[in-house]
Amino acid sequence: MKILIPLIFTFFLSTTLLFGQKSLDPTAEDIKLAKSLREKYSKDDVAILESKELITFDLNKGDSKVVVKNSVKEVLMNINHRADINKYEFYDSESSIEKIVLKYRNQKNAGFEVKDQFYKDKDLFYNDARVKYMEVDFPVQGYSYTYELEKKYNDVKYFTSLYFNDEFPVIKKEITVVVPDWLNLELKEFNFDGNTISKTKIHDDRNGTTIYTYIMENVNAFYKEKKAPGRTYIYPHVLVIAKSFKNKDKETLLFNSTADLYKWYKSLIDSMKDDTSVLAGKVAELTSSAKTDEEKIKNIYYWVQDNIRYIAFEDGIAGFKPDESNHVFEKRYGDCKGMANLSKQMLKLAGFDARLAWIGTKHILYDYATPSLAVDNHMICTLFYNGKTYYIDGTEKYNSFGEDAERIQNKEVMIEDGDKFIIKKVPASGSELNKEIYNAKLIIDNDKLSGSCSKMYSGESKTEFLNIFNSFENNKKGETLEKYLSGNDKNITASNIKTSDFKNRDLKLFVNFDVDVQNKVSKFDNDIFIDLAYMDEYKNFEFKDRKTDYEFNYKTNYESNVVLEIPQGYKLSKLPENLNVNEEDFSIVISFKHTGKEIVYKKQFVFKKAVVKIGDMAKWNASNKSLKTIYNQQIIFTKS
Amino acid sequence: MNKILLIFFITICFSSYSQDKTEVKDFFWGKSDTFKTAIKIPDKWKNESAVIIYKYEYYDYHNSGTKVVYTSAYRQRIKLQDENSVKEFSEFSFKDKFYTTKGYKYKEGTTFLGVKIVKPNGDEIEVDVDKEAKKIDNQKKIAINGLEIGDVIDYYYYSYEPFTSEVQNFDPVENTLGDVYPIMSRKIKFSIEEDFYVSFNTYHGAPELKEVSSGKKHTKTYELEAHDIEKNEFPRWFYPLAEMPCYKFQVFFARKSGFAIPAYADVFLPKGLVSFRKTVDKNDIYDYYEKKFYAVFDLGETLKFLKGKTFENEEEKIKAVYLFARHQYYTQYIESAVIKEANIFNSYSMYKNPLFFSDERSFIYYFMAFMKEFKIDYNIVLATDRNNGSLDELLIRRNLTPLLRINTPNPLYLEYCNPFSMPGTIDHGLENSKGYIMDYVKNKAIQNVEEVNLPSTTAKDNVTKVLTNVSMDTDMSNLNIKRTSAFFGHFKKDEQNSKLKFFDYVDEDYQKYGTERVIDKVGSKSKREQYNKEFDALKNKLKDIQKDDEKKSLSSEFDFEIEHPTINITNTGRYGDNAPFSYEEEFVIKNNLIKKAGENYIVEIGKMLTNQVEIDKKETDRKNNVYMPFPRAFENEIVFEIPDGYKISGIEKLNKNVQNSTGEFISASILKDNKLIIKTTKKYNNYYEPNANWNKIIAFLEAAYQFTQEKILLKKE
Repeated sequence: MKILIPLIFTFFLSTTLLFGQKSLDPTAEDIKLAKSLREKYSKDDVAILESKELITFDLNKGDSKVVVKNSVKEVLMNINHRADINKYEFYDSESSIEKIVLKYRNQKNAGFEVKDQFYKDKDLFYNDARVKYMEVDFPVQGYSYTYELEKKYNDVKYFTSLYFNDEFPVIKKEITVVVPDWLNLELKEFNFDGNTISKTKIHDDRNGTTIYTYIMENVNAFYKEKKAPGRTYIYPHVLVIAKSFKNKDKETLLFNSTADLYKWYKSLIDSMKDDTSVLAGKVAELTSSAKTDEEKIKNIYYWVQDNIRYIAFEDGIAGFKPDESNHVFEKRYGDCKGMANLSKQMLKLAGFDARLAWIGTKHILYDYATPSLAVDNHMICTLFYNGKTYYIDGTEKYNSFGEDAERIQNKEVMIEDGDKFIIKKVPASGSELNKEIYNAKLIIDNDKLSGSCSKMYSGESKTEFLNIFNSFENNKKGETLEKYLSGNDKNITASNIKTSDFKNRDLKLFVNFDVDVQNKVSKFDNDIFIDLAYMDEYKNFEFKDRKTDYEFNYKTNYESNVVLEIPQGYKLSKLPENLNVNEEDFSIVISFKHTGKEIVYKKQFVFKKAVVKIGDMAKWNASNKSLKTIYNQQIIFTKS
Repeated sequence: MNKILLIFFITICFSSYSQDKTEVKDFFWGKSDTFKTAIKIPDKWKNESAVIIYKYEYYDYHNSGTKVVYTSAYRQRIKLQDENSVKEFSEFSFKDKFYTTKGYKYKEGTTFLGVKIVKPNGDEIEVDVDKEAKKIDNQKKIAINGLEIGDVIDYYYYSYEPFTSEVQNFDPVENTLGDVYPIMSRKIKFSIEEDFYVSFNTYHGAPELKEVSSGKKHTKTYELEAHDIEKNEFPRWFYPLAEMPCYKFQVFFARKSGFAIPAYADVFLPKGLVSFRKTVDKNDIYDYYEKKFYAVFDLGETLKFLKGKTFENEEEKIKAVYLFARHQYYTQYIESAVIKEANIFNSYSMYKNPLFFSDERSFIYYFMAFMKEFKIDYNIVLATDRNNGSLDELLIRRNLTPLLRINTPNPLYLEYCNPFSMPGTIDHGLENSKGYIMDYVKNKAIQNVEEVNLPSTTAKDNVTKVLTNVSMDTDMSNLNIKRTSAFFGHFKKDEQNSKLKFFDYVDEDYQKYGTERVIDKVGSKSKREQYNKEFDALKNKLKDIQKDDEKKSLSSEFDFEIEHPTINITNTGRYGDNAPFSYEEEFVIKNNLIKKAGENYIVEIGKMLTNQVEIDKKETDRKNNVYMPFPRAFENEIVFEIPDGYKISGIEKLNKNVQNSTGEFISASILKDNKLIIKTTKKYNNYYEPNANWNKIIAFLEAAYQFTQEKILLKKE
């Protein structure tokens, strides 16, 4: 009986290619090079030995658009034992991939199948981005392929930036931009300081072009770190701003100034056909019983937050043009632009001066001094009321009117104003607004700690809490809150939980409860040892080999006050030491006070700017070490 | 002319499609829909996330002689009562066109999706699926308009799947009656035409499937209706199909009655070839398995292996042959499969006549041939995993696993190979249950079928033994751990799977049996060298991953990051009776488990037992019986070296003793040679405990948990 071997093993998942030829063994020099590169880039499987990128421009006279051609040639080498990667490139309705190929070292086509799919992103319901990719295996260390790509952008406005870094480390990166004389193009450099990047500019009189060449060597791979700042802050890059072009002495303006950017945005919003009659009934319902203007505004803003689901479509021009308010209203979902427009139209119907506003969130470095589509990534609604400016962001669930989320604070906002526009800055608020307080009053009851506690949340600590709380099913909310308050620790029981009105997002949020803590009181001989570290905030918050700033969701300001009654018949014999750290961006206060009958244990952690900068990480780690030392100590009472 | 024809053709297609669409809609939401206006839910479920007002499943098996069509349809009408459920139902995806995987021709199937929202005031908004859906690669996605808390969403999927085949086995379905949300009403309906054979039954209080009038001569219709079903909640150690109201079904199609035979059917065919079956008994087993297994396999390699070897007894010989076969027809090909999958070269072409145990049947054939050759008495046993429910409730053919029982003085059970399977050990799910035993006459036909009890193991057989040596750094901040672990019985399999990569065990097989490796079969020396290099590169990469996995695995065992771990496998546990799978580990615990108390130290020594089961408040109130994988024991010895200059206090707390009929946790500590030695045993005695015993289980689990919380004081002398 002959039985064919089925592919039942999945010991190693990689490619499913059916052809094999890999006779091109790396040379001894290749292997030596791969080994030395791996020592340097110990977390990367592949290095790009050389990457040459050439950008040229053409004029599509038919629709007066500047076409961009981007050609890439790279040599990729496996520096680990073996590598299995996907080599991919994105494109969308405004761009196309005309060539994507991998070749062997002898320049013969390696024949990898090019797959073509929609790019799926869990945060985007639908987008027009597609990806072409090849599943590539490098069988041994030092093995290399040559990669060639030709990509075309139909309109220079969508070709916004050039980066030196890549998914893999690049040993030598060369970017050449050939700018024809008929094109007025600015290459704006960012984050070049601290990096060695050579730049040359040559005018080619014969061809009528200016050739810019940038070279950077030993470029790290993009950092795969969570809570990192946006790419625009971290990596050196060139922003491409096409300002205007000339065709037979006729000059056509592109994005010469911010006014041109606004003009294009304005043309998109002018093409919207809002039918606000659909909203009128709801606006009347929300405002009729409101006693003040502020109440009317809040009713509308909160209704949008609560009733419009965030579902993002990025489909060609729909990525820039807001959906009509009546559509968003009827569908009960929309992206940021749709929500901003609905908020605007509802507020306008209620008699307020509400406008659309473009903004680049904290993720983006640029401000509106740069006329580029790369400047913004978000839309909100701006309300001018009683001489004040308010920012209404329908995507921010449980946000209180007048409070701005960290991600838009201190960022420039471009507000519509007829044919003109207004630039303002969303004000920054202090960490005090986001204060979170834990209070506990405990006694030692035989072998356990027992007492009453309260938690208070405000600002963004409150919105974060409500977002998590409301994501649970109704029938699981009680159980979940109990587990949350007990820190999911079997030793801790939270009971008799009473909460403030979770539906009122304008008030601070309170949770009061009773607590029992087991296994934190140890009695040995004549001593009682108390381990108060059962809520060991920031104990494991330590940075190891981090290369980028750590960004918090918001400016955290946490305070804990635990009061412990000294048991009768005992006196205090040992308290852990205090800690006081006050750096520019963060502060820690840990204090133990003996007040006669009680021990007052206070903790405060403040991250003033919602960041721990890379330069401050050593300081933070040192503070964290002291913190661990304190957490590893006990309060000792001895029989008196 | 051509243009007109084209338009005509398009019109035909379009109108037939839209007619289908309307018919489908009418099928669910038409005049006969008795749930059309139902939006109220009972008060008892007002705090639930969502309540299913009506859940309807419909299966139609249509055979018009030339055309076979399988239609499956599903409708749910659900009241959404919180943000979570609104989010859950705010997006749908479906394949509107697909190719059937049934039969032997590419035939296109169609799926219709219909969605409507019913507002609390009764207003209905129907979603225009054709207009709103976005095509993403080969499927469509739709975001649901206008959905709010308090709405009822009513949706259906209707899949129409024509296929061409003479015989077709459909996948079995086994479900509890309940769902993630409580259900007010649910209905399952079958419509079956001739040549379809259905096995269907309900269990544990679920209402029966009843025949109702179909109104058609050649069609039979069955319905199951149930009401007021609480949502499913599955506790720890639980087999839902063993005690919750549930249903099982499977369908088989044979165009001609001559094809409705066990050779083609993956179901137990109904007696007398009526279309419907509810139970399976030993006679059905006889009918199905009468000619299923044959003693046919090339024993050439096996005879070569046995040549010149002598064995103490028949049992030893069979065990040796099992281990040989495990390599010869299984592990021998692992390297080859890896090489092929990693695209190093087409390794399969190196075998002229590869013999491989591709499924349990070929394994049985092999051993039948072997028993026949050596005239050894054996039976074939069919057993069902305990999580399928009891043998009396057997309905689905695939729920039976064939085993061989060799009738040596102590019967020896053999099960289908995997790299770690051992003769005499069967899957724990099959243990301690009832099965069917079959006598084979002349190694090709069964004579009779009887019920039989399958063997059991005890907590003495399934043991994890761990010795942990703990010492403190001189600066009293780190704990240095040396640990040896040995796994016996059913504990081995999971550990072997998580700790061993193929290269950790295939070498010992190659050496033991002297088999030629696949790369060595390559003729060209330079190619061989190249493939070896590439294969070594792959193995080295996997070894790096293995190191990272070890750190992750240890860290999750302790719940904090472990430093500098090393592991050394001391026995793969793949040969010899009772051979454990064992390894040694060394690692460091930094800044954890040691607390400073003035000049003294508190050490959380109990944590060396690592994470124990934590029973929370909700779990204490258990309503179901308890189904354990197997009886088992954990024996731990913790040896703590007391640092010089310190004496120890508080060891009395380390002594626990809870024993009852369900299990035990016992710990005892002594001081000896400046060492604290703690021995602990945790045992689960049985496969099954009635709910009444749950508190007894909790009693010893709590003792084990409490042990992990105990600390000792190191007092400066």
